[in-house]
Amino acid sequence: MRAWRGGIVPVVLLALAEIGFRLRAGPSDSLAPPSRAIAALLSILGDGSLLFGSAQTLGSLLAGLALGSLAGLGAGIVLASSELLRRLSFLSIEMLRPIPSVALLPLSLLIFGFGYGMEIAVIAFATFWPSLILSHSAVGQIEPRLMEVARLLRLSRWQTAAKIILPAAAPRLMTALRLAAGLALVVAVTAEIVSNPQGLGHDLMIAQETLRPERMFAVLFWVGLIGWGKNAALLRLERWLFAHRGDVDTSIAA
Amino acid sequence: MSLPQAALEFEAVALELGGRAILQDIGFTVARGEFVSLIGASGCGKTTLLRLLAGLIAPSGGKIRLDGRPVTTPSRQVALVFQDYGRALLPWRTATGNVSLALEAMGVPPAERPQRIAALLAKTGLAGHADKYPSQLSGGMQQRLQIARSLAQDPAVLLMDEPFGALDAMTRQALQDEVLRIVAERGATVLFVTHDLDEALYLGDRVIVLDANPGRIARMLEIPLPRPRNQLTTRENSEFLRLRRELFTAMQEMLA
Amino acid sequence: MTLHRLPTSVLGVLGLLALVLLWHLVTAAGLVSKAFLPSPAATVDALVWGFRKGDLIGQLAATTLRMLNGWLLASIGAIALGSLIGISPTARVYLRPTLAFARSLPASAVIPIAISLVGLGGSMVLGVIVFGSVWPTLLATVQGFANVEPRLKDVAQVLRLSRLAYVGKIGLPNAVPDILAGMRLSLTIALILAVIGEMLSGQAGLGSAILLAARAFRAPDLYAGLVLLGLVGFLSSYGLVCAERRATRWRQAATR
Repeated sequence: MRAWRGGIVPVVLLALAEIGFRLRAGPSDSLAPPSRAIAALLSILGDGSLLFGSAQTLGSLLAGLALGSLAGLGAGIVLASSELLRRLSFLSIEMLRPIPSVALLPLSLLIFGFGYGMEIAVIAFATFWPSLILSHSAVGQIEPRLMEVARLLRLSRWQTAAKIILPAAAPRLMTALRLAAGLALVVAVTAEIVSNPQGLGHDLMIAQETLRPERMFAVLFWVGLIGWGKNAALLRLERWLFAHRGDVDTSIAA
Repeated sequence: MSLPQAALEFEAVALELGGRAILQDIGFTVARGEFVSLIGASGCGKTTLLRLLAGLIAPSGGKIRLDGRPVTTPSRQVALVFQDYGRALLPWRTATGNVSLALEAMGVPPAERPQRIAALLAKTGLAGHADKYPSQLSGGMQQRLQIARSLAQDPAVLLMDEPFGALDAMTRQALQDEVLRIVAERGATVLFVTHDLDEALYLGDRVIVLDANPGRIARMLEIPLPRPRNQLTTRENSEFLRLRRELFTAMQEMLA
Repeated sequence: MTLHRLPTSVLGVLGLLALVLLWHLVTAAGLVSKAFLPSPAATVDALVWGFRKGDLIGQLAATTLRMLNGWLLASIGAIALGSLIGISPTARVYLRPTLAFARSLPASAVIPIAISLVGLGGSMVLGVIVFGSVWPTLLATVQGFANVEPRLKDVAQVLRLSRLAYVGKIGLPNAVPDILAGMRLSLTIALILAVIGEMLSGQAGLGSAILLAARAFRAPDLYAGLVLLGLVGFLSSYGLVCAERRATRWRQAATR
């Protein structure tokens, strides 16, 4: 019974919205009751257009995420291994990081034109920074006692990296990936709203421009669902992979 | 099977860190197969001494020799058992995997490993827990696992840094006897750090008392108590009680 | 190399200069088209020209003010609402999933709705900024109230503190570190939404300036805008970090 308590509020809100809309006189160009939104959702699911848009968005998301997070991971590991490099680069990182990825959309559009390229490039930029910072801290926070054990056992550099560093950092790296994935979705949808004529963000704008609010809400809900579902799935994966270790903090359910 | 035995030698060893003298004029020798207990108040540098011997840090002055050869880096001959066992075990490997790490480091071929691991786990009383993760083991078992891993190195010297400090009294006593048994079988040389007076006397052939600020040797006591030791009879032995009084007084004087 | 000895701030500046040098070399060697990557010199020229002619200052001010206004409104609302929700464990339980869902929604995704409701004007942009930046601070406030040491709640009951007094004397002070962290995140979101809002609505600001520069193929102006945006983000974030450090001095002192 306890699990349902959280679900009461949305249901009540939706019911109120439905009733409120019915009581209004006449249709609206900008709002739609939940019943119509649900109907619209089912219809665009059925005719495949929603899935097509999702595929486009997710395609860019995955490619951009892979690029950005791998590059960030590599850079993070390099930084963690050299104190000097870290001190040299920290200021540059702090200056480049705050540039909003959305501000790069015009530039990306200039270079790549419409399509997957520009979106992937911006997603890669956006996900690079959190991946860099989080993987750097993941490697830097490895239990020092374990590194001493590696020294005592006289493990080679490769052995230490493979047997100690990577497994020890894995849970935090996984969390970093989950957070980056969340960011990637936001950036992808934003790119499609602002400039790229493909994917779910574009569907949202089209629905708004053609004055179909029920469609707009349907896509909006779908986007939220994807975001929530992706996060929940990755959280599950994290727990399944690492729960037995007892050294993992699975409370960061951002 | 008797393992290669080593003699240890500290010669006028000193250690300075950040301008402060941590250890000063440490000089003593340990014979093959001898069990030496190191005792002292907090901050006397007993842990540092072990780390010097393990090759984790280098002394600022003096020489440390293992079997006549100077100690510069960690060596497979020397195994170190930490007090915070939870942090020294790999949480993502089972008990078997943890012991295996030492064998992998030594380049033991995969085919030979299972047998040796099983033997070591049996020796430390972990036979039925081979597939458990450290988080599933109790504190005492985790410490046994760490000991099993150290033994996998086939060490000539076993360094133990307050290994039973975080355990309850009963587990501690059980592990004390287990260590004595294992060490007797292998004839290994042991340097055992503890803050527990009774433990130092119970386990050692000799007790070295360290004074603090800076760390230096205050007393050395021979413990001519009969072996094998027994939790009941040894602790009631009149010689044990006499030594205990002597040691207790010595430590009180240091603190005063 | 003596690089190690230099203070970190100096090294940081050196690293930044090295990056700019690399930028200059890449453009000088013609490795990337000038249309995509103008030289540092051209960017600086565009910056200076933009400031002299006046446009850039106005745009910078517009974006910054937009960001700050939206962020402040959102923060006040979030703290107020968060406190209301935070003091009631029941409210927390009922509302947490809804809040979490709303938080995971990309803030930019509500822009189409905002456009259909309010049109493409400045109020749409402000509304979107407020709506989008409210969540991190709101959730952080609720969290800050949720993790009040239970013992302190007992103290509040014994002292018979009113609801308002509890919020002011215990709840909010306890939540300050979380709230500030949330506000920092909210500020980042506010900046992003301000830029998006400007790009979509054509309202004056750095966002629309960058878009126009791209359309006119004026890369130096584009990069000048990017540099300024980066500065705005950097300085506002830095300011908040300083405020955070000041306000959480008691926590740092405790962990020493």
